[in-house]
Amino acid sequence: MAKNKDPEKPEPINQSRRQFLKATGVAPLAASVAGAAIAEAQSGAGIVGPGEVPIELMVNGKRVALRVEPRVTLLNAIRNRADLTGNKRGCDRGVCGACTMIIDGKTAYACSTLAIETVGKQIRTVDGLADGAKLHPVQQAFCDRDALMCGFCTPGFVMATVALIEKHPKPTPEQVKKGLDGNICRCGTFVRIMEAAMTASGQLATRGVTRG
Amino acid sequence: MAKAQEGRGAQPPAASGPTANAKKYAWPPKPAVLSTRVKRLDGPDKVTGKAKYSFDINRPGMIYGKVVRSPHPHARVTAIDLNAAKALPGVRAAIVWKEPGTPAAECKYQGDPVAAIAADTEELAEDAARLVKVTYDVMEHVANVEQAMENGAPAWAAGTANTRKGNAEENGNLDDGFKQAAHVVEQTYATHVITHVCMETHGCVCEWDGDKLTAWVTTQGVHGTKDGFAQGLKIPATNVRVITQYMGGGFGSKFGPDAQGLICARLAKEAGKPVKLFLDRKEEHLDSGNRPSAYAKIKAGVSADGKLTAFDAQSWGTGGAGANSNFPLPYIYNFPNRRRVHTDVFINAGQQRAMRAPGHPQGCFLTEILMDELADRVRMDPVEFRIKNLPEANLSQAWGEYFRMGAKAFGWEKRHATGDPRPGPIKNGFGVSAHRWGGGGRGGRAHCDIASDGSVVMKVGTQDLGTGTRTMVAMLTAETLGLPVSAVTPEIGDTNYPVCGASGGSTTAASISPAIRIAAGKARDAVFAKVAPELGASADDLVAENGRVFVKTNASKGMTWKDACRRLGAEPVSVDGEWEDGLSSTGTSGVQFTEVDVDIETGIVKVKRILTVQDCGLILSRLTAESQVYGGIVGSLNFALFEDRILDRVTGHMVNPNMESYLLAGLSDVPKIDIMLVDSPEQRGRGVIGIGEPPTVSTASAIANAVRNATGVTIRSLPLHPHRILAAIEEQKSGGTL
Repeated sequence: MAKNKDPEKPEPINQSRRQFLKATGVAPLAASVAGAAIAEAQSGAGIVGPGEVPIELMVNGKRVALRVEPRVTLLNAIRNRADLTGNKRGCDRGVCGACTMIIDGKTAYACSTLAIETVGKQIRTVDGLADGAKLHPVQQAFCDRDALMCGFCTPGFVMATVALIEKHPKPTPEQVKKGLDGNICRCGTFVRIMEAAMTASGQLATRGVTRG
Repeated sequence: MAKAQEGRGAQPPAASGPTANAKKYAWPPKPAVLSTRVKRLDGPDKVTGKAKYSFDINRPGMIYGKVVRSPHPHARVTAIDLNAAKALPGVRAAIVWKEPGTPAAECKYQGDPVAAIAADTEELAEDAARLVKVTYDVMEHVANVEQAMENGAPAWAAGTANTRKGNAEENGNLDDGFKQAAHVVEQTYATHVITHVCMETHGCVCEWDGDKLTAWVTTQGVHGTKDGFAQGLKIPATNVRVITQYMGGGFGSKFGPDAQGLICARLAKEAGKPVKLFLDRKEEHLDSGNRPSAYAKIKAGVSADGKLTAFDAQSWGTGGAGANSNFPLPYIYNFPNRRRVHTDVFINAGQQRAMRAPGHPQGCFLTEILMDELADRVRMDPVEFRIKNLPEANLSQAWGEYFRMGAKAFGWEKRHATGDPRPGPIKNGFGVSAHRWGGGGRGGRAHCDIASDGSVVMKVGTQDLGTGTRTMVAMLTAETLGLPVSAVTPEIGDTNYPVCGASGGSTTAASISPAIRIAAGKARDAVFAKVAPELGASADDLVAENGRVFVKTNASKGMTWKDACRRLGAEPVSVDGEWEDGLSSTGTSGVQFTEVDVDIETGIVKVKRILTVQDCGLILSRLTAESQVYGGIVGSLNFALFEDRILDRVTGHMVNPNMESYLLAGLSDVPKIDIMLVDSPEQRGRGVIGIGEPPTVSTASAIANAVRNATGVTIRSLPLHPHRILAAIEEQKSGGTL
């Protein structure tokens, strides 16, 4: 692969390789796990890394240009290099869910997703959920129901709940359990997280916790 | 009776009566703000990701630290070669922690810190840590209490014994007690080791400005951590500032800088750059504390009419490498004749630290399972049996009343005798248990500023572990000044604010609330003094309510808060308050009821519902008090059913230092939970008492008793994992237990 002269721009896409993959029917896979740089690497035609490579991510609707080693996770890339620290790292192994982001409409453990895999995808983090000072209904419900204590797992739970409600606007309690079972809260706020999910989906009245 | 380990906060001695300030600023009989449901002030920051936890602090030029740790449970470091690591481009600092040739060179558990490096990125720091060459002289280790207690066992640490036997705690006459007994139960009971699993791992960001250190630490005590840095680094405490604006859980494990904090500060000094050093999940399991195990061989007697007569126990447990493992035993119930001897056992594993109600979940389990066994011997209902054997009732020992309240609300009368008689593999059962905790505190300080524009700041050098402390500071101030909560700015989590104790032992609320009440009261009086002449009244006749300052007997004679503060002009109010006797108390009691389904073919336990009756004196915020109870109960459910720190008996390595095989409950595992917070005039009259720990003590015991009630099989040790339940059922079938 040709060396990229401008570090601020992503590496050029090898159109012919992409065309080739498309023609052979592997393109959807390549597109879903990779972006061009990885497609290159997997096909053996070019190798990125192990040093830093420039990538451009689409985070919360904004372009974020970064230089990362291919081994850097999405979570570490945007926390450490873009200072978007809303989503947290709990287990770093795709279990606790504190890092949950929504990538192309589906929840993903950002601690177990390579940043380079997400080039070309729409990444949503908790940092971009609110509309200015106006909280997303899920965020509002978490506050109203006190569905958080230390709050470290909360960004992940909020994102998982958002994805759940986007898929099931009126989820049943069983759907909420299934949708949020990939997240762990050590403070033990689960009862109220369930209430928050039901409140955010309009199935439970907002209780009068109005002071403050 | 065993002296309970009541967490890190010292328990206050018996109250000497309320002070003059405590009388003057007594809690209002009809509070406007307190005891209501006020939404967490920092909720919006937490749900949007704006809240900056210490883990989120990114400083200009910051680099990343990584600790090199012993892979051996017991070894002596003979050489450390940092050269290869230092040669890696991007490595900015490398230090030795365990100096070869010194006594400190002995590693006593897997994960004991040995050296550390700092590099430009986290990934590079991990590479560099792998390049540090450490030469070990591997030593024999002991991986569990059985190994450690064997004759001729290797020593957990060179030249030391593996056990430390305590003095006997005795009362009454055991021989007489057993003579009075119609039935005797003699069994061994046990609880396991669990780790704190804070979602935000231990760590900090350290930044030097000349010889002054600023550390953003995830800690339960900013002031204590400041002192810890000063002592560990041999610098004046006045040169250290510790900040903890938000923290992702502590549960008793975060009280000082720890090794990684001092290492981080040293790396930052050497690199000349700010350093972030947070443990990874494996390090967190190995080297940031745990709840010690507990074992007891107990012989207990009960009279024919159901009175406990005697209790004789040998207990032991391990807090790992050199730490104690004591716990209260027997728990709560009145055994008039008793003896208990505890032995600390040391093994090559990370040291225990206080963990949410230290000692009590263990003592509670060991006693409460025995209680159900004894009740069955005399064919009494477990609730009635417990009530019959309680110590004398008072406001901090109100179990009898709570047992009756809880039993009624829970539908306890539907409980069947031990062993669900219905056919089929799913067996249903009820269980009950009781707990106690101190929850008092003293020594907190606060500072209140009121500006001439009416704005109010309350500064308290405490910290919010997720309990809602920040919101509580604002509520207490608002209540006292007659303002809405939103009119108060609470400032906490910084050693620049007045000294307060660490948040341990459920002491925070009881130690800072009186200080805040008094500081705000004095500040309010200063405003009153300024406006009293204008209102033609004495300052003593004024009140502040609903955003106004007015004459008590004539509400029309007054002015808005803002107008009153405007009169302060160039002399804003700036006053201190500190904890005084009379506004807080200590001693809580509670009971819990559980219903479970047990599948006796798979061994899986499903908790269906839990009900608790709990007091905490004056309820500050009903919303967050309930959240604490929910959290405590879920924590104890985890202790009963899921968590288990497993050390390989051969290698001494932790088998599950992660979150996929170290299990914790998810939403599907959490049952219906009903909370009955006791809010009586008598309890309110006691003042503020903490509620962080009591609810987490007894759930596990109630679940275990419910499993016993369902299956008819007594499982005398935790955790209640399916294979252990199946094994117990098999043993019972072959005539083993009871």
